[in-house]
Amino acid sequence: MRRSLLTRRLLATTLPAALVMGSVSSTAVADPMLARNLSSFGLPGGIDTPTAETLADGTLGASLSWSDYARRSNVLFQALPDLSVVLRYSRVEGINDFRGEGYISDRSLDLHYQLLDEQGWRPAVAVGLRDFLGTGVYSGEYIVATRNVTPAIRVSAGLGWGTLAGKPRTIDVADEGGTPNVDDWFTGGANPFGSVSWQVNDRLSLVAEYSNDTYLARYSNGREFQQGDAEPGSNLNLGAYYRLGRNYELGLYTIGGETFGAQFSLALNPREAPYPSGLEKAPAPVRPRPAPAADPDGWSGSWSQDPTAQPAIQKALGDAMAEEGQILEAMALSANRAEVRIRNQRYVNQAEAVGRTARLMSRALPPSVETLVITSTADGVPTSSVTLRRSDLERLENTEAGQIAAASLLSDAPAYAEGMVRSPGIYPRFRWNIRPYLDLGVFSAEDGLTHEVGAQARASYEIVPGLVLTGALRQRVFGNIDQRGPGIGLPGTRGQYYTPEEYLADPALETTPQGVPRVRSDTRMYTGNSSPTIPELTLAWYAKPTETVYTRVTAGLLERAYGGVSAEALWKPANSPLALGIEVNRVRKRDFDSLLDFRDYEVTTGHVSAYYEFAQGFTAQLDVGQYLAGDRGATVTLTREFANGWRIGAFATKTDLSAEEFGEGSFDKGISLSIPIGWATGQPTRDRAGTTLRSLSRDGGARLEVQDRLYDRVRESHSVRLYDGWGRFWR
Amino acid sequence: MTAARNCVLTGALLALLAGCGNGSGDETDSGPLGALAGAVAQTVAARRAPETPAAPPKSAQEAAAEALRVNPGPLIQVGFEQLGRTQVMAMTGQNGALRTYMTPAEEALILRGGMLVGTRGLGHDLSVAEPRTEALIRAGGSGNGQRTMRYFSGDGLERPLQFDCSVGPGPTAGITIESCAGHGTSFQNNYLVQGGQIAVSRQWIGPNLGYVTIQTLRP
Repeated sequence: MRRSLLTRRLLATTLPAALVMGSVSSTAVADPMLARNLSSFGLPGGIDTPTAETLADGTLGASLSWSDYARRSNVLFQALPDLSVVLRYSRVEGINDFRGEGYISDRSLDLHYQLLDEQGWRPAVAVGLRDFLGTGVYSGEYIVATRNVTPAIRVSAGLGWGTLAGKPRTIDVADEGGTPNVDDWFTGGANPFGSVSWQVNDRLSLVAEYSNDTYLARYSNGREFQQGDAEPGSNLNLGAYYRLGRNYELGLYTIGGETFGAQFSLALNPREAPYPSGLEKAPAPVRPRPAPAADPDGWSGSWSQDPTAQPAIQKALGDAMAEEGQILEAMALSANRAEVRIRNQRYVNQAEAVGRTARLMSRALPPSVETLVITSTADGVPTSSVTLRRSDLERLENTEAGQIAAASLLSDAPAYAEGMVRSPGIYPRFRWNIRPYLDLGVFSAEDGLTHEVGAQARASYEIVPGLVLTGALRQRVFGNIDQRGPGIGLPGTRGQYYTPEEYLADPALETTPQGVPRVRSDTRMYTGNSSPTIPELTLAWYAKPTETVYTRVTAGLLERAYGGVSAEALWKPANSPLALGIEVNRVRKRDFDSLLDFRDYEVTTGHVSAYYEFAQGFTAQLDVGQYLAGDRGATVTLTREFANGWRIGAFATKTDLSAEEFGEGSFDKGISLSIPIGWATGQPTRDRAGTTLRSLSRDGGARLEVQDRLYDRVRESHSVRLYDGWGRFWR
Repeated sequence: MTAARNCVLTGALLALLAGCGNGSGDETDSGPLGALAGAVAQTVAARRAPETPAAPPKSAQEAAAEALRVNPGPLIQVGFEQLGRTQVMAMTGQNGALRTYMTPAEEALILRGGMLVGTRGLGHDLSVAEPRTEALIRAGGSGNGQRTMRYFSGDGLERPLQFDCSVGPGPTAGITIESCAGHGTSFQNNYLVQGGQIAVSRQWIGPNLGYVTIQTLRP
């Protein structure tokens, strides 16, 4: 079982060349047909029309496109080699809704699937759904084929339905959106479209396309709007795209010859790190043991009778490990076996921390010690043990990482190990920092770009391993994310908000007109405080009652909007891809000044969770339980992660709230991103940059945002993550 | 240079993302913004460095003489052609025939009797080389063999590249040439072998780092 996992994860690395060779131009591998530019809808395409191209697997892209018809912000993820997903936030010009502002804000989701790649005479073929959750302004479907005619000229032709056929569907004004209208797909009459792109040189490409889009929006209440100023003057669109560096592209285009637009896009490929192997300092090499004749005392093990031996060795090893960003928390030492507990503070891949520790042990331990056990910890709790033979370490230095993996053993770490001596001077441990912070709201078409800048101080005091007191204090300096009441939510009031004063004056408003407690939709009430706020203040206790069960209890101000007690238990054997968890929270809503006061709303929320790690870096999570508003339901999360630490996930939550009770969007869904800073800089650090893009902040399906949930902390040193990153053992 | 620019560009996006969400500064003391600022500063410094040398650079001979005087252990002098640097490296560890040499900045080359086996700390490191041509080269013979070079790809996995190599004497007496090809690229390693040890060589590290010349100052 373990061996087959191993073989799959690290020995079967056979798709290699193009990834390593990258810049060497003439890799004669059959590359998939990669897009030259993104369309104004953020997908591989011409200008408005799609093509059958894709992006390199795993690519994360973002684009902004401005024209008189719309301002669109698109986030693209190449989720599988042939599947692209786009989340779009648009400001559609020319449509008047209840607000009469001359535009509407619209969110939409597209799927683009490449059925066939180009091969010989056969073109690449793709099929796609545009704005497919509900009927929206952009709803349409297509099937398209693309082929290289010459190395520089690429031609696409396709059939479109809906807006792509110039036959926009009628939008149901009563529909809250969010659910697919499968019956409408590929119906209502098709029209052909096409595009030609010419790669002039490495940077410049020119595109001409024939598009049927009339930019018309029809509503079920009979109203009809022309987006922008007028219907496109012709079906012909022209564009020019210019690439800056490897990641950026600027575009200029015209729709029908009279309307002009500009576009900026970027694409990041997790496989193209600036410094793939990292810039961390070289590890200390293995020090082989001297011949027995040269050190008879060391080999006999008699040194272990000397009570001063272990403290001296532990001090030397701890100091050396500190140089490499790790803490030696405890050590058990006998004549032929040494076990260390390490806390990795520097490396994204736990395997690198384990490998470096192993080499330092070979330098610090007397020769009679043959068995090396390296136990990883998370939050002071041991999570897994890697057992190595010292002679294997000496023999396999500077060989392929798979060999030492095969010669090592991964096992669950017991909570208590005999003879374990804690390193002196590590606990209690106090850490603090003061940093500037920047909150950006990028994807709100209504508010534009919002920001808040300030300073935050954060401190943690770890009294004994696993018992941590954490607090943070935040002071806003400037910004335009002001305090605001929630949306009114009555018919005919869409887009109108209560003022903070109105909202505070009437406690009844803390329940929506549909009877749902406002647990997240009044989140803007917590912003804009000009006085100091306390984002978190908690006491957390982590423990491990059995070899495979981990627990956490956190009490205090758990997040910006809720305080209380959160308890969690997780079953996760080190070699199992399956994990099960349960979490129960009793929380009360915090007051809007984000200090120590509470409001009246109190709720018990909790989930039963199952986690599974599939092959190829996919993980799935299912949570079933009660959410913050007391609604019951389930959340499904699918995440793709790379050995280098990139994580991109999508989640959807459906609870027993009806679509009407939930409001626009019908159910909660979103995308989360997390990118290790070290991937971009090459420096070894566990810092990450991340964000969660939600379609809308709503009250249904809302979860408590408690810090340091167990699963992600524990699995770092378990089989899947450990062996995915095992290539860094000898780093 | 390309890598440096990528770093800055990527940094710009990360700053954006860091702002939206909660960069969970896990255990380290510099936050996402701090880390990025540091990275950008370094990149800028790296770009400026060639234009404003701090002191007149020592010649390679002067540096070698000084290192030999200061350090009693085995030393090599290496020239990274792509990086445009020549440095003296001192042996920091020996495991059988494998020797690890490091610069003062703790970048490492790992050699087996002069044959390049790996690099560390250079950003596009060679994890490990498995040259099945090694015996031929040491014996000064002629023939063919394969060479496997393992690298990290950007996604964090160690990936092997296989090359087909032919070994034979070069035009200059005493120099053995190993010509390798594969994956749409080719390279040529030159070795000066003395008594089975490679005393002087020019060897290919990989697609990004190019060639390194290695000269034994003190065996």
